[in-house]
Amino acid sequence: MSESDSSASRALSAVFRYGLAVSSVAAALVLAPLMHPYALVTPVFFLAVVLTAWIGGFGPGLVAAVLATLAIPYFFLRPIHSVRLDAAEIPQLLVLFVSGFLASSWSAARSRAEALLRQARDELKAKVQERTADLSKSNEQLQGEIAEHKRAQNILQKQALELRERASLLDLTHDTVFVRDMNDVISYWNHGAEELYGWTKEEAIGQIAHQLMQTLCPAPLGEVNEALLATGRWEGELTHTRRDGTQVRVLSRWSLQRDEHGRPTAILETNNDITDRKRTEDDLQKAQAELAHVTRVATLGELTAAIAHEVNQPLAAVVTSGNACLRWLAGQPPNLAEARQAVGRIIKDGHRAGEVIGRIRSLIKKAPPKRELIDFNEIIHDVIALVLSEVHRNRVSLIPQLAGDLPVVLGDRIQLEQVILNLIINGVEAIGRLKGGPRELLISSGRDESNSLLIAVRDTGVGLDSADLSRVFDPFFTTKPDGMGMGLAISRSIIESHGGRLWATSNSSQGAVFQFTIPASENMS
Amino acid sequence: MNEAAATVFVIDDDDSVREALKSLIRSVGLGVETFASAQEFLKAQRSDAPGCLVLDVRLPGLSGLDLQREMADANIHTPIIFITGHGDIPMGVNAMKAGAVEFLTKPFRDQDLLDAIGLALDRDRVARGEQAQTAELRSLFDSLTQRESEVFGLVVTGLLNKQIALQLGTSEITIKQHRHQVMQKMQANSLADLVRMAEKLGIPPTK
Repeated sequence: MSESDSSASRALSAVFRYGLAVSSVAAALVLAPLMHPYALVTPVFFLAVVLTAWIGGFGPGLVAAVLATLAIPYFFLRPIHSVRLDAAEIPQLLVLFVSGFLASSWSAARSRAEALLRQARDELKAKVQERTADLSKSNEQLQGEIAEHKRAQNILQKQALELRERASLLDLTHDTVFVRDMNDVISYWNHGAEELYGWTKEEAIGQIAHQLMQTLCPAPLGEVNEALLATGRWEGELTHTRRDGTQVRVLSRWSLQRDEHGRPTAILETNNDITDRKRTEDDLQKAQAELAHVTRVATLGELTAAIAHEVNQPLAAVVTSGNACLRWLAGQPPNLAEARQAVGRIIKDGHRAGEVIGRIRSLIKKAPPKRELIDFNEIIHDVIALVLSEVHRNRVSLIPQLAGDLPVVLGDRIQLEQVILNLIINGVEAIGRLKGGPRELLISSGRDESNSLLIAVRDTGVGLDSADLSRVFDPFFTTKPDGMGMGLAISRSIIESHGGRLWATSNSSQGAVFQFTIPASENMS
Repeated sequence: MNEAAATVFVIDDDDSVREALKSLIRSVGLGVETFASAQEFLKAQRSDAPGCLVLDVRLPGLSGLDLQREMADANIHTPIIFITGHGDIPMGVNAMKAGAVEFLTKPFRDQDLLDAIGLALDRDRVARGEQAQTAELRSLFDSLTQRESEVFGLVVTGLLNKQIALQLGTSEITIKQHRHQVMQKMQANSLADLVRMAEKLGIPPTK
């Protein structure tokens, strides 16, 4: 209820209560003449005053008392219609007034008490309501807290379960996982670690890790620890010794654990056994080197075997016929007819041998080379990748000096790779036969003055004397102890079939230079 | 047996080599027959004269080493000289173990080949001589009667006539006559001769 509403109702109630005072006195005025014969005028008014005071309170009661005190002398006591009084009638009126006043006061006091009581009751009620609300609120809160607590407990249980599962998962993994504190004392050791190293959990925990496994580290341990403290992690390859004394290569990952103050507390180390992988890698590298060598040798070997067989047959026939001829001539008398026939066969077989050689030569030359766009830098990179281990084995530093804009050439990629491979391997082997001195192989690409592609391979190897320089491209000429003398001959015919030239010179300081040119493709450049 | 009738069989798939070998071998007065493959050689009608094979290892179809094996299986013992364009040592060792006379790598010295041919023909002659001798003995042995061959078997064990007679249930005189017949028919001069013959014929001494 708003303020104005309540004041309005209060005003209304005042009008009602004072109206009651007036109307009750008026009603007494009406009733009094009826009661006059019984001399009950004053009690009627008294009743009106008491009723008014009872219902309307102190103010209206007092008004009614005043009105009644005035009405009685005015209407009923002589002189009528005057308020003048006999002295004898004053006490009667005084009693009426006082009685009215008292009745009003009591009534007011009662209604005040009632009002107070009501107010107190209301307040109590309100308070009780408030308390009830508070209680239900705190009850709700309590319920919520209980639910929260339950939830937290569930989560905790779940976490504990997960933790247990995770711990057993750590045991399931094939990886070796262990934890060591900052003094390198092992505090956790999983099943994988037991399997790899041979020590059980009970044996390993409490041991000094580096001592137990005789850790061999590629970098000084100080540097490793520095990196670990700086970044929180380290990764590298280590060699450990197992319980049975055998060594194992591992890929090791370290993670640093810190407490809430950021102080390092422990190191989690996860190791993967890469012994086999390492061995496979080594084997692969070796196999690659062998493959490059074998491919090269096999090509030449097959070729020489073919040449040997094809040439050997007519050669055997020539020798045999020659011997037969001598025997026919040595006869008594000499059989000239047979001798002539034998010589005829010798000539025929000589030609045949020549044809075989010619056929093989044209086999190399004629096999129609594929023509595709060649990026020579790419070829050089590919071949370098192939021969890298051979290069390392001979402790040669291979320096590529490749120009950015090479003239475009068309050619047979495989054949041209073969040439580069031959030249690099020759250079590497020439350096390999030296004990000391600079061990450099420089391979450069670029263009010459006529805008052709120019590739040069310079080595600091044993080099070639001037007599050798003129013969290195002859088939079967070799300066190598186990050479076949075919590599450069084939290389030259490949370059020539591409319209280019391959030649050798001596390196200014030491070693040899092999260079070739291939003309740029006309429609492309 | 005619010595001049010896024949050298040359098997090589290369015409030139074949012709050259033919000429060389003829130049020393030996007979030559040439074949381009092992199959051709096996199909051919060959005279029963002493001979030897000059065989290329690498042949189309049946290789030289295959032919050597097949001939051994068929109990043909013609000596073999291998010639090859690419002789490797294990192959040569195998061929020699299997009874080859020689293993020559082309081109070879003519004298080496001719020496090998001479050696091979000698071997074949000796083998053939022994074979012929055995065949003759066999025919002599076959002319003996049942009783005579029984006596032959017992005589070569060294038994006396008396003992043989006892064993065969007849008189010593009869055995003596049989024994005389055996010696005559087998053309043997002494008991020792007879024992050698029994050995060659593979007759086990009767018990």
